[in-house]
Order: sequence, then C-alpha cells, then structure tokens
Amino acid sequence: MKVECLKEKLETAIIRAERVTNKNVTLPVLKNILLTAKDRYLVVKATNLDLGIEIKVPVKVDVEGVVAVPADVLKGFINNLSNDSKITLELKDNKLLITTNRSETFIHTYPNEEFPSIPTLKESKDLVVPVERFLSGLKSVWYSASVQSMKPELASIYIYYEDSSIVFAATDSFRLAEKKISIKKLDEFNSVLIPFKNVSDIIKIIEGVDGDISITITDNQIAIFCDDLYITSRVIDGVFPDYRQIIPKDYETEVVVLKQDIVDVLKRSYVFSDKFNRVTFEITPKDKKFIVETNNQDIGESKNEVQAAINGDKIKLSFNYKNIVDAFQSITTDSIVFKFGEKKPLMIQGIGDTSFIYITMPMNR
Amino acid sequence: MDTKELWDNVLVEAELNVSKATFNTWFSETYVLKEEGGVVYVSVPNEFVKTWLLEKYHKFILKTLRNLLESVRSVEYVVTREKPENKEVAQGKFSSSANQGSLPLNDVYINKDDNLNPRYVFESFVVGPFNELAYAASQAILKSPGAVYNPFFVYGKTGCGKTHLIQSVGNQIKKTYSNTKVFYVTSEKFVVDYLNSVHLNKVNLFKEKYRKYDVLIMDDIQFLSKKEKTQEELFHLFNTLYDNNKQIIFSSDMHPNFLQNMEERLKSRFSAGMVVDISPPDYESRMAILKAKANQHGMSLTSEIIDYIASVVGSNIRELEGILNILSVQSQMKDKELTLSDVKTLIRNSIKSRRSAPVEDIIKMITEFYNIEEESVYKKTRKKEIVKPRQIIMYILREDYNIPYPTIGQKLGGRDHTTVIHSYEKIKKDLETDSVLAQEIHQIRGML
Repeated sequence: MKVECLKEKLETAIIRAERVTNKNVTLPVLKNILLTAKDRYLVVKATNLDLGIEIKVPVKVDVEGVVAVPADVLKGFINNLSNDSKITLELKDNKLLITTNRSETFIHTYPNEEFPSIPTLKESKDLVVPVERFLSGLKSVWYSASVQSMKPELASIYIYYEDSSIVFAATDSFRLAEKKISIKKLDEFNSVLIPFKNVSDIIKIIEGVDGDISITITDNQIAIFCDDLYITSRVIDGVFPDYRQIIPKDYETEVVVLKQDIVDVLKRSYVFSDKFNRVTFEITPKDKKFIVETNNQDIGESKNEVQAAINGDKIKLSFNYKNIVDAFQSITTDSIVFKFGEKKPLMIQGIGDTSFIYITMPMNR
Repeated sequence: MDTKELWDNVLVEAELNVSKATFNTWFSETYVLKEEGGVVYVSVPNEFVKTWLLEKYHKFILKTLRNLLESVRSVEYVVTREKPENKEVAQGKFSSSANQGSLPLNDVYINKDDNLNPRYVFESFVVGPFNELAYAASQAILKSPGAVYNPFFVYGKTGCGKTHLIQSVGNQIKKTYSNTKVFYVTSEKFVVDYLNSVHLNKVNLFKEKYRKYDVLIMDDIQFLSKKEKTQEELFHLFNTLYDNNKQIIFSSDMHPNFLQNMEERLKSRFSAGMVVDISPPDYESRMAILKAKANQHGMSLTSEIIDYIASVVGSNIRELEGILNILSVQSQMKDKELTLSDVKTLIRNSIKSRRSAPVEDIIKMITEFYNIEEESVYKKTRKKEIVKPRQIIMYILREDYNIPYPTIGQKLGGRDHTTVIHSYEKIKKDLETDSVLAQEIHQIRGML
C-alpha cells in the first residue's frame, strides 16, 4: 500500500475513528484502525463491535492495499505533526512507514485479516436532516438516559416520528428530557432505541460535520450517512415507556427566572448541599420570594434569593442538584420557567421554546 | 443428538481451533434456536457477529455440523435480543437510589403504534380445559390471519384472560408477519376516537385510520351498547375489513346474541365467524396459573401455599394476580419466604366473600335483566313473564347463596317454602334440557 495525502484530512478521520476503538477488550485487533487504500480513497475503519465507523478520505493512491495499526499510536503521532505537511503512508516489511518532509516513522502493524467487518446497511434515506439539527436533538436529551444497563430501554435514546417532528427522548426514571425537531412530513419512520453510550460517541463524531445526514433503520442496526462518513450502531430491542402521560398538564406554582441568575445561585448553593446533593426550593408568592436553600451538617448552610416572577401557591420542595442543572445545557433562551406541583414532577422549559421539555421528580422528604 | 448438544460440539471444535479471545468474542454468546429441514438457525448477539461468522467461519461451522449430523444442509444466523435474565435482580438494585423520587413511569410499556402491550404473549399464557378451545382457535388464526375464523369472537367473565389471549394473538401476528399492521383498541377508546373525529369534523380521517389495518382487535365490545352512531360506524368498518379478508377479533363479557342494546345486524356479524367461550379457570388450571405467575414474579411458593390460594380464591385470574402481588411485596419486605400461615393471614382480607350479595340486589339485577318491574315479583301474579324470573331468583338464591327455602319465600312476598322448593326443582330440571335458559342463567351469574 502507498498513499499520499494532506495531514489535516487524515487527522480528522483518525481522531473520529479512534473514538470508536475499544481500549480494554479481550480482542486486541479492536484497538486498531484499519486503513484500506482503494481507487482514489483511503478508507479509515474502526469498531468496538457495538458501533462501527467508516470514513472515506480522498487521497492519491499509488499502490492499493490494507493495513491495521494501533489507533492510539497513529493518532498520537499524526496529531502532533505540523499542519501544512504532506504525508505519505506506505506498507514496508509489514510496518507502516509514514514519511513527511522532515521525518520518517515506522509503526508496527497488526494482522489485518482479523479485523472484523462492519455491517453495511444500504442507504434508504428513512430520514434526512441537517447534521446540526439532529445533533441538537441528541445533545438535548442524551444525558438523561440511565447509565445502568439493567434496563436497556432506559439506557437508550428513543427516537420517533410524530406530526412532522422527530422526537428525541431519554429518561433514567428520575428525570426525563424530550426534544422535538420539526422536519417535513414523513410517511413512515420506525421508532428506534440507540444505546446512550453509542450516542455520546456519535455526538462527538458528527460534531463539526456540515450538510445533511441520512438515516437508515433496520431491525438490528441503525446507520448514519453523512458526507464521506458512515456510522452504524446496534439498536436496542425494547419498548420505551409511554412517558407522555406523566408530563404534568397543570401545575400549582409557576416561577420565571433568568437562566444566568438561577445557574449562579445553584452553583453557589451546591457547595453546601448534603451527600444527596439536595437543594430546596421555597416559593412564597405572597412575599414574591423564591429561595434556594442548602444545608450540610458538616460544612454549613446557605440561603439565596433569586429574582423571579411568581404565580400560584406557596410550595417547598427539594431536588437533586444534578437533576436540575443538567437541564440548563439544553435550554438556549435567556429565561427559564419552572412549573411545580405537590407530588408531581417539576417541569423546566425555556421561555418561548416549546421544543424542549425536562421533568424531574422532587426528592422525598 | 439434540440441537443443543450439536451446537455444543461445534463450540468445542471452535474453541480448539481459534484463540481464546476470538472464541470469547465471536462464539461464546451463540446458541442454536432450532433446526428445521436441514437448516440450523444460530442465534447471534448482534449484526457484527453475524457478518463475521458469515465471512470467516461459515465454512468451518457448516463442515463441523455436517460431520456431526449429515442431514444439515445450511446454517442461518439470526440476531436475537439479549436474553432477559437477571431482570428481577436488576430492578431491585435500580430502586435503591437513595431518596430521589422516581417518575411514575410504571411499567406502561405500551407500543403506541398498535396499542399492544408486549407483556401479553403466548409464552405466559396458561392453557387449561377452561380456555383450550379459544386457544386452539387462536392458533389456527395465527397460521393464516383473515382466512379462518373471521371474525373471532371471544367471550367470558372478567378476569378469565380474554385480553391476554387477544393481545397475544396481535403480538404473535406482528412477530410472524412483519409487514402486517395490527391494531388493538378497547371499544371505549373507539367510541372516544369516533366522537372526537365528529367534533373536529374529521370523520374521514377516522375512517381511513381504522381501514388501513390488517388485523383489528377490539376489546370489551359490550361497552358499545346504546352508542348507536358508533355501532353504525363499526358496522361499516367491519364490512370493509371483512370484505378485504382482514382479521377481526372481538372480546366481550357475553355471547353476541345476549349483548343488550346492540344492533341486530352487528350481532349477527359477530356470530358469523367463530364464537368461543372462556369459562372461569377450574381448580387445576388455577394452580397452573399461580405457578406460572409466581415464576414471573421470581417467587418460589410451596405447593401447599399454591394449593391453598387456588382453593380459596375464586375463579378470577386478576384476583389471583393481586394476591401474588401482595405476597411478593410482603416477602420482599420481610426478606424471607412466606409460610402457609403467613399467607392465610395476609389474604384473609383480600378475598371477597362469595356469599354476601344482598338479596335485594340480586332481585333487582334479575328483574332488570328480564325487563320487568321489580315490584311485580313480590306480587301474587301468575303472569308467565313474571313467574319465570321469580323462579330463577329463587333458584339462584338457593343454588349460589345457599339461603334457606323459608327465608327465600319470606323475602319474595311471603311465599310458602314449598313453593320455593318447587321453583328450585323446576328450574333445575329445565336446565338439563333448555339451553336458552342455561345461557340466561350463565349470563346472570356473570353479572352478579
């Protein structure tokens, strides 16, 4: 094999592929990236048997061929080359020789016959959306998924179609996030559950990609096509809970605050929260007061008032700090509305943005 | 050699031929699903393994299989979901997260495309003498939906497993015929849907929606009584689906002929296919059901406890399930196995006494059933349409509630106990020959 290419193009591909390689696994070949030079492309492949990725990099191919090299080594090396350099990759005596103007490097290769094939799905264009919108759907909800794999359907991101929107949802049964992305009307779209671990990789991989992505779903796999990128992930065979019935339709107390205000107050209060990360919200409409309270017996306690517009009844509830602040990363508006109810989930939304809903349960007293 | 043994042999061969890491990655999670006509179906955990086995080890696997069993012609790899073992344990751990309240998600795992609850499957369906006919019919339907027994009409008392049966049919059809559109709806939901569509002036959409299904399952059809417009809509829907050979499944708490306030043309259509009855489970079936349910709960109950519950709890499966839930919670709380005496005290309160229905209610029910004035049964009239219900009241009071003859006589306008005895004997004798009467009494008992 012998190819010539620009460093930057190869670098992005290698960094993306490296994410998918499996670092601690019984099968050492999975730590490698497979490079295939064919026609006018160098195809970079990696997989951890859960997620697979293929990236086509346009290069000048002198000699076609295949080689598998450890991903971390390749990435570590290419990452630190100066930017404008042209590089040549060549297979010599079972080693990968990388030459630039001023350097010559040999990397030991791995027998490439052992490198697993990545399942190839045909592009069916079940769904085509701009990358950034799809990305915002995933990013808005993925952190709410359960980190425990005992209930696979909760350790997943649920994606389905409804009324000209693609809906993304995730819950760990303590809180739930839902994001709707409006698209043009689809005739048919099968709902799908993607393991959240894979979603976090997918997010990092497609971040910074321009244009549209197209999605194909089969019974066992989902495939994402964009540009010269192909990603395929296992999907979960399960049923996501019918969560819509638990989104509260009414509430007793409504509080509108500036996002920055509440973020600052919560961060400050968090210092004094107890081992359960408890923060207590006390709302007294009569005095127009919204107080955030924390109390840690070993450290001290703190009471902070937040400027707020308040409607409804007096209420006092405690929440897990993390379950509250997590929501803020998905809210882009300046103001936030909290809708409280006794024994009901708290609902958090951006003012003027109905596409995102976040709910979480209060802590028990 | 059975299929498991066969595959075990292949695995041994593979283990000898490849490295340990390779074996663990590609072979350790495979097993044989079935062998059919020389084709061995191998379950693999994911698409990666499937592709890899096909590419790298297919020849090896086939060769090894042939050496062991000459009739093997080919191998198919099927991606199957991870085995849902350890689930029970998992849930216990899950809820231990300190004092964070959890969202009331319950276990409402209902598929929104077809409304089917995936929990209702044939694997968990207990077949006994009380439901074997219905089960057999449903299996015939699974072989060719729409072709035999259309419509399929299941009726029986509450808590006998009607919903479980018809939902299982839906789930199974979905599994076997992947392109078939199945839809499950309760008749109450159907009414609401229809009314909404009328309000929003979107009746066309409503019609379209229901006409596109290949299998329509409608539960508790008796709730359509008196809803004339909806009945008419159902009538047209039925005709369209039926003419296109789409499978239609109904359930109800009584035989179509006895559905009240239901249009005749609908009734006759209900009866056109297959009408089967699920009777309340007998004692042995109750035992079998209890065992199966206890297994699902991950509980182990001694046979004497199962025996006890099956004998004291009546014929309602839902009640059996409720009792098991109580027991499961209690044994988790106390963290020990329950003894028979524990069980006795625990369920003493939850068993409904069968003997406590007040006489007045029964009289009211039966007079309503026959559409006569309640007062009339107390009077000394001998009109035929009054006499028969009166005799039936006496019969039921005696037979089901064991009330003494003189008391019955007193309650029914001060009649002599010999009159009561005569009525009781008469109905009892008639029952042997008169099937209409038997059906009516069956209905009445169902309502009580």
